[in-house]
Amino acid sequence: MNGHSYELALAAGVLSPLFSFWALVFLGPRMGKPIAGWFGVILGMGVPLAMAAYVLLGWLGLDAAARAQLTVNAIRLHWAYLGSVPVTIGVKLDSLTVAMFFMVTFIAFWIFFFSVGYMAGHSDEVDHQSKYHRFFAYLSLFGFSMLGLVVSSSLLFLFIFWELVGLCSYLLIGFYFDRQYATRAAMKAFITNRVGDFGFIIGLMLVYFHLHTLDLDEAARNFAAQHASGTGIFANTFALFGFALPTLMGIGLFCGAMGKSAQFPLHVWLPDAMAGPTPVSALIHAATMVAAGVYLVARVFRLMTPDALMFISTIGCLTLFLMALIAIVQTDIKKCLAYSTLSQLGYMIFGLGCGAWIAALFHLITHAFFKAMLFLGSGQVIEGCHHEQDMRKMGGLIKKMPVTGITFLIGVLAIAGFGIPGTSIGLGGFFSKDEILAVAYARAFQWDDVKKFESSHERGGEEHHSTENTPQQNGELNDPKSKVRMAKIESGEQFRLVSDEPPHKAAAASPETTEPEHSAHRMASIFAGTKPLPSWMFWLAIATAYITPFYMMRAWWMTFMGKPRDEHVHHHAHESSLMFIPLIVLAGGTLVSSYFLFRPLIADASAVASAAPMVLATDGAVHTQAISAAHHWLEYGVGFAFAIGFIFAIAIYARGLEIARRIQNLFFVWPVHALLVHKYYIDEIYDLVWVKGCLLVANICRFFDTWIVDLVFDTLAAGTERLAAFSGLVLDNHGVDGVVNGVASTSMDVSDVLRGPQTGRIRNYVLFAAGAATMIIVLLLWVGVRSATAVTP
Amino acid sequence: MTIGLTHYLVVAAVLFCGGLFTMMTKRNAVGILIGVELVLTSSILNFVAFDRYLGKGRVDGQITGLFIIVLAAAEAAIAVAICINVYKNLSTVDVDRATRLQG
Repeated sequence: MNGHSYELALAAGVLSPLFSFWALVFLGPRMGKPIAGWFGVILGMGVPLAMAAYVLLGWLGLDAAARAQLTVNAIRLHWAYLGSVPVTIGVKLDSLTVAMFFMVTFIAFWIFFFSVGYMAGHSDEVDHQSKYHRFFAYLSLFGFSMLGLVVSSSLLFLFIFWELVGLCSYLLIGFYFDRQYATRAAMKAFITNRVGDFGFIIGLMLVYFHLHTLDLDEAARNFAAQHASGTGIFANTFALFGFALPTLMGIGLFCGAMGKSAQFPLHVWLPDAMAGPTPVSALIHAATMVAAGVYLVARVFRLMTPDALMFISTIGCLTLFLMALIAIVQTDIKKCLAYSTLSQLGYMIFGLGCGAWIAALFHLITHAFFKAMLFLGSGQVIEGCHHEQDMRKMGGLIKKMPVTGITFLIGVLAIAGFGIPGTSIGLGGFFSKDEILAVAYARAFQWDDVKKFESSHERGGEEHHSTENTPQQNGELNDPKSKVRMAKIESGEQFRLVSDEPPHKAAAASPETTEPEHSAHRMASIFAGTKPLPSWMFWLAIATAYITPFYMMRAWWMTFMGKPRDEHVHHHAHESSLMFIPLIVLAGGTLVSSYFLFRPLIADASAVASAAPMVLATDGAVHTQAISAAHHWLEYGVGFAFAIGFIFAIAIYARGLEIARRIQNLFFVWPVHALLVHKYYIDEIYDLVWVKGCLLVANICRFFDTWIVDLVFDTLAAGTERLAAFSGLVLDNHGVDGVVNGVASTSMDVSDVLRGPQTGRIRNYVLFAAGAATMIIVLLLWVGVRSATAVTP
Repeated sequence: MTIGLTHYLVVAAVLFCGGLFTMMTKRNAVGILIGVELVLTSSILNFVAFDRYLGKGRVDGQITGLFIIVLAAAEAAIAVAICINVYKNLSTVDVDRATRLQG
């Protein structure tokens, strides 16, 4: 069977935006204003979307065995060798890739589309040169990098594309580079990401050194083998902060995710990143790139240890709670959405940390749809209100922009987890977020039940699966044996091109022939290492489920309802028809993503995570319903959270801002309010510790340089100068030159004297000659007389 | 009074001094040439006089006199040629103004 058409389609989908990027870079200025944009839309994202749709439709038609076969058969091309470790290029073809690829291309396509309308209305000229084509070139480059990241089969390539999306983020945040705040925000994003990427590199190095591969599947297989035999990385006794080396590897890889997904200590760049154009905020800083961190953690879930997951869930929990609190006090519409993004990313990371692998990725996808829509809605509002971003100046916009208002409301309902508990009517977060909370609850309070359930489940308990409404899982996957077998295939027993041995033969030759014992052993080892989730994490996550609807409804109400607070803004408000098509499409996408398509695909992919040797991935839907008698109170408790949040928000903001102002001035609220407005003073602390610290170190170095190094060299220089002066002035000028000049001047003087008589006048010569002759005669006469007189006597 | 050697020598000395004086005072190149001829003439007169009074049958002095006349003619021919060329180039025969070769 020819299984490579999907990979080739995905590869074509990745490369098409790259081609679009180069074309726009070189030919963009000639294409002119609307054409360059449409070129980017069609080639940059239209082609990938078509490819994604082709793969998705084909993929949905396959059963689990066929999919597993395709995954195993995937092409791996050797690219280079790092030492003896081959670096391979390939497409990681599994359900998660297909789901992510489709999600990214779909959302990106409509955001590209939106951008054509959005950028048309922006003055984008710097030095009389249009940046319009450049925007779409960057977007295309981002499309290439993001899709490459999604399909990468190797951690190294994942890292390369990871850095590329970081670069695109930098370029697009700083798109208005003639404004200082944009360039500062771009630098902040880039530098903060470097901090996280440093951890990522350390994680990569540990993978490379200890697992001897950079391929995702092979790394997981080696990790499992080393864990089973207690060799390799598990034999190493190195520890840091009480974490063993395997845990440090997991935390290192997670550090990359912390930077890219803006988790708590490194979250500072994301709100500032809103300086970029709004489509960029929607695409990169809400839907796709920031989710890359979550995607990475999901991909390396098999390399995680219980301690690493505890670290991850702690970070995620802090992020989701702290950022939700900040979102309450934000007045800038985009900043408010940015903080809600941070909080939701915290949910995803927290979910992964809890082992809610499916729920976290499901939340990633539902969130991508509704958050992209919310951002595009905010872009529409900002554009319509003449670049006014302050919600306090808006209000009553629903009459002027009904489509935006309604789609925005759908987004608000989705993020708040709107739904009717006990039924399957709801939107986005109602399914995905609540599932994360359910798993967190089980991990925190019902750990013993989880153990019991998972053990029996692994041994062949089939009774709980019927509750799952995923058609893909009802087939072969529910058979525990096939599930384990598939997990083994997924974990990459063989690569066809790397080894010539056919995959089925390799699977047959696998040493693990006694599957139940093996899985029971695996479970025992997992339970031995894993601690239940601390209950405070669960309570913070629950509390945030109440805060989220509050701040989202607050934002919506302040923007769209009530009386207009600024006549000028309200007067100008209008809606652009080209821009609301994407809004409607994404609203539809929000509905679809809540119900169909993505949850089953991710559940299908979760077999990979279930094969993790040290940690447990929990299928929330199967699991909680089976074991949790208390699930119902949780379902209602969380299910009505949106209603309570909405009621509070409407009660406070229905009559304008007066009540809110009064509340924030209450004696016990204002310190909290100040703390939140200043974002816990984290920027100030970073400024004090890192920026000022850097300057301090730099100053100390400068002091050392000036007073120690320079002193030594100045002294040496001065000495050399003196020596040179001595040899130059004294020896050379007076000694050597003196001799030479003396010879010259002496001959000059002599010649001056000699030249005196040489007048050139014949008279004088004659006179001299005559005089000389006379003198000679007189002399001779005198001598003759004397000799004569001398002889005479 | 008989004319003896001394008279010849005095006449030659007067001629010599006249020639020398002419050479020293004249600025005209032709004048200087005339002075030179006078000096040469005085020396010829000396040779001939010494030959007549002290030669005792020898003709060395007279031959030397003839030799000097030939030399003087050759010298005069060359000198006049120089003078003509100087005049062609400088429009003058004043030796004080012919300073082009002076360093």
